[in-house]
Amino acid sequence: MQGYIKTGNSQPAWLFPFIVISVLILSVLPLARLAMVGIWAFANGGVIDVLSAPSLWSATYYTIVTSVLGTVISLAIGCLFAFLLTLTDIRRKGLLSFFFVLPMMIPPQVTALAWVQMSGPSSPLLKALSLAPPMGSPQPLYSLSGIALLYGVQHAPLVYLALRAGLMTLPRDGVEAARLSGASSLRVFRDIILPLSLPGIIAGAAISFVSCTGNFGIPAILGIPASIFTLPTLIFTKFSAFTSRTFGDVAVLSGIIAMISVAGLMIQDRALRGRDYRVIGLSGASAAFELGAWRFVFTPLLWAILFFMLAAPFFALVAGALVPAYGVPLTFKTMSLHAFEEILFRQAVTRTAFINSLSLASATALCLLVVTVLTAYALTRRRDAVSRIVSSLIEIPYSLPGIVMAVSFILVFAAPIPFLNVSLYGTIWIILIAYFSSFFAVSLKPIVSAFHQLDPALEEAARLSGAGFFRRLFDIIVPLIAPAAGASVILVFLIACNELTISALLWSAGTQTLGVAIYNLDDSGSSDLASALSVLVVLMVVVMMLLLECLAKRLPKGVVPWRN
Amino acid sequence: MKTIVSAAALLAASLLAVSASAANLVLYTSQPNEDAQATVDGFMAANPDIKVDWVRDGTPKIIAKLQAEIQAGNPVADVLLIADMVTLERLKEDGKLLAYKSPEAAGYDASLYDADGYYYSTKLITTGIMYNTSAAMKPTSWKDLTKPEAKGLVTMPSPLASGAALIHAQTLAAVPGLGWDFYKSLAENGAIAAGGNGAVLKSVASGEKAYGMVVDYLPIREKAKGAPVEFVFPSEGVSAVTEPVGIFASTKNADAGKKFVDYVLSEKGQEGFLKLGYIPARNGMKLPEGFPARDAIKVLSIKAAEALKNTDQDLKTFSGIYGSN
Repeated sequence: MQGYIKTGNSQPAWLFPFIVISVLILSVLPLARLAMVGIWAFANGGVIDVLSAPSLWSATYYTIVTSVLGTVISLAIGCLFAFLLTLTDIRRKGLLSFFFVLPMMIPPQVTALAWVQMSGPSSPLLKALSLAPPMGSPQPLYSLSGIALLYGVQHAPLVYLALRAGLMTLPRDGVEAARLSGASSLRVFRDIILPLSLPGIIAGAAISFVSCTGNFGIPAILGIPASIFTLPTLIFTKFSAFTSRTFGDVAVLSGIIAMISVAGLMIQDRALRGRDYRVIGLSGASAAFELGAWRFVFTPLLWAILFFMLAAPFFALVAGALVPAYGVPLTFKTMSLHAFEEILFRQAVTRTAFINSLSLASATALCLLVVTVLTAYALTRRRDAVSRIVSSLIEIPYSLPGIVMAVSFILVFAAPIPFLNVSLYGTIWIILIAYFSSFFAVSLKPIVSAFHQLDPALEEAARLSGAGFFRRLFDIIVPLIAPAAGASVILVFLIACNELTISALLWSAGTQTLGVAIYNLDDSGSSDLASALSVLVVLMVVVMMLLLECLAKRLPKGVVPWRN
Repeated sequence: MKTIVSAAALLAASLLAVSASAANLVLYTSQPNEDAQATVDGFMAANPDIKVDWVRDGTPKIIAKLQAEIQAGNPVADVLLIADMVTLERLKEDGKLLAYKSPEAAGYDASLYDADGYYYSTKLITTGIMYNTSAAMKPTSWKDLTKPEAKGLVTMPSPLASGAALIHAQTLAAVPGLGWDFYKSLAENGAIAAGGNGAVLKSVASGEKAYGMVVDYLPIREKAKGAPVEFVFPSEGVSAVTEPVGIFASTKNADAGKKFVDYVLSEKGQEGFLKLGYIPARNGMKLPEGFPARDAIKVLSIKAAEALKNTDQDLKTFSGIYGSN
């Protein structure tokens, strides 16, 4: 064990092996199993069957088309907000930023449900306003462009966050020099700011593209009624028509999604190469531009976009929860709280789903915190090739679509575990392990950035005075990284609470999550109940985000995503 | 730190509690959520010592879930209450069901349950036509849906998502004068087939489509709540499923399962279904409000054994016409 201890470093010998084993279980094992089953299915003559299925190719085509379009839309909206909120003196930046990031935290199927309620002949909101289109007009969102539009809305915050991180470090002196030499605002923007912010834009585009290819909630609600299947929804329907070939088929399909995601990330890598601009000088480009009269154009524009992205769909959702039956216009007379009553007091599934989602999310957040504190400690202390490999292995499950991880874990745990003879499939534990794997990277990031800010001298002093590892951990490190730990817990909690893709494949009797409950309610035709439950979930998300906002003052920079 | 540790401990405890408080009986059903909850509530009121957990999904999805669980060596379901006898007949042939001779069977027509006691019908669910009251045409026959007035305005559930829809397609396909040609001309008229009966209800009630094939109780119930829809029993007749109940052979709670079967067949259980708006299968029960007299409903027959044999081919034929996966 001596070999694991680096000189000048007194980590306990078990620490690094523990981390390596965790990573092997959470990311290497499931992906290796997926690859094995996929290759086996191919080798057994399934190649022609799988590759000749027209559904496979149409799903691949739809996945790519909607993801590319969605990325373009999220780039347009995300860049607009990032530039205006970071570089100009527009008012109420904090509030705008908070609202703009909100859609990212709302489960995609809730977004989809809300937009469906907002548009088309079925909209209770439009009916109440007597604006509903005539009968027989198709719901415009049940289409490729509808799916792409919602991908754009859902992922625009990702572009915003990626670009904003870059814009914050823009050199102010370059802008000032150009200004002094008489360059116009447009010129400064085109010649200085735009080239320097390209890496951020490219990174944002890549993240958005990868998230689009893996999205399940939006194409499930918008695509399936129009027989438009993307790869994740195709996998889901394959499971809904289980045959002896299903495991092999979905392994191959998952492989294709994984390849598309990896291709997206490689294009990004290629595009970023040679764009490593080292900027020297005063960074912090706060208010490089004064909007002047343009304020009267941009301020209403941003608020109008937010209105259509957030407020209108939310009101539509509320309206959808209040109508007594389909097709009845919402008025003060027809309004009924029946759906809320049914959801809150009658449906056992609501309570089950809340308990499951809340306990899964808390368990994921807290257990991961323990692992990530240890991991961050080890990784920031030993910066060698092995630790770099370990950190990229932690990243892989997060960058792959949730459905790929879900399929991998089904394959690993479908059969009872050897020796123990315990079956995890169909229990809540398989969902928990899949969550550990998928959200490891989310939990790790704030902690690592806190560790980077730690002064090693403190711990060194404690060590010289003879304090053991756990003593140092609890007396020095934990108090110093506590705010980041809090943020990590809340972020993982939020994401895990609203998760659908993984649990949609892994749920069983009594293990429904909130995401699954909402999807199933809508699927059984009870969209009033689905809307009511969604309204409750949105309120919960907002409360959690406000909590994070309150914690923000005590956190390292960049941990709360929407703050400066 | 202390608070975090104690919170973690509390959480671990609650998570363990969740998995420890496993139900005595797990029901897999294709009833809509509100009905499933009402059925379970009624049963638990009659049997307070038994706690029921239930899962709802379309019949084909429920069966897929079961098969995946069986393959994984961990079947969860104890009792099934799903759309049609054909599916249960298949499970019986595969040896997946437990035989139980319920004393309540005496109140039922012999054609409505399995003679060996593997499954029992609980209600009669017919599939007819629903239309939005603002639609121009009032359909009275299945063939009306192929008329130019209905072009692009017809929707139906997919047999891949709904057990009742599969039986419906198989029933109509066997009717002289309709057959698969009827489904082809519907498709040429721009009809779509996707999702379950819930999706059809939503689409027609909201006016996205004007006409839909759908199970009777959904539109009849929604109409009573004020939705702008109407249900008709077409002149050629309607298809019917009987939502049978059966006990899973691998159950560890056979006694509780038998009590559940007895309950849904009993007068009390049947009244529960009646209240929800279903036609009870038990002899001598009333019909729910909004239905015509029982002898006014012409039910088309289907040969279960033949339907079972042809299921895969029929699904392929249907997918071929409607291009669904």
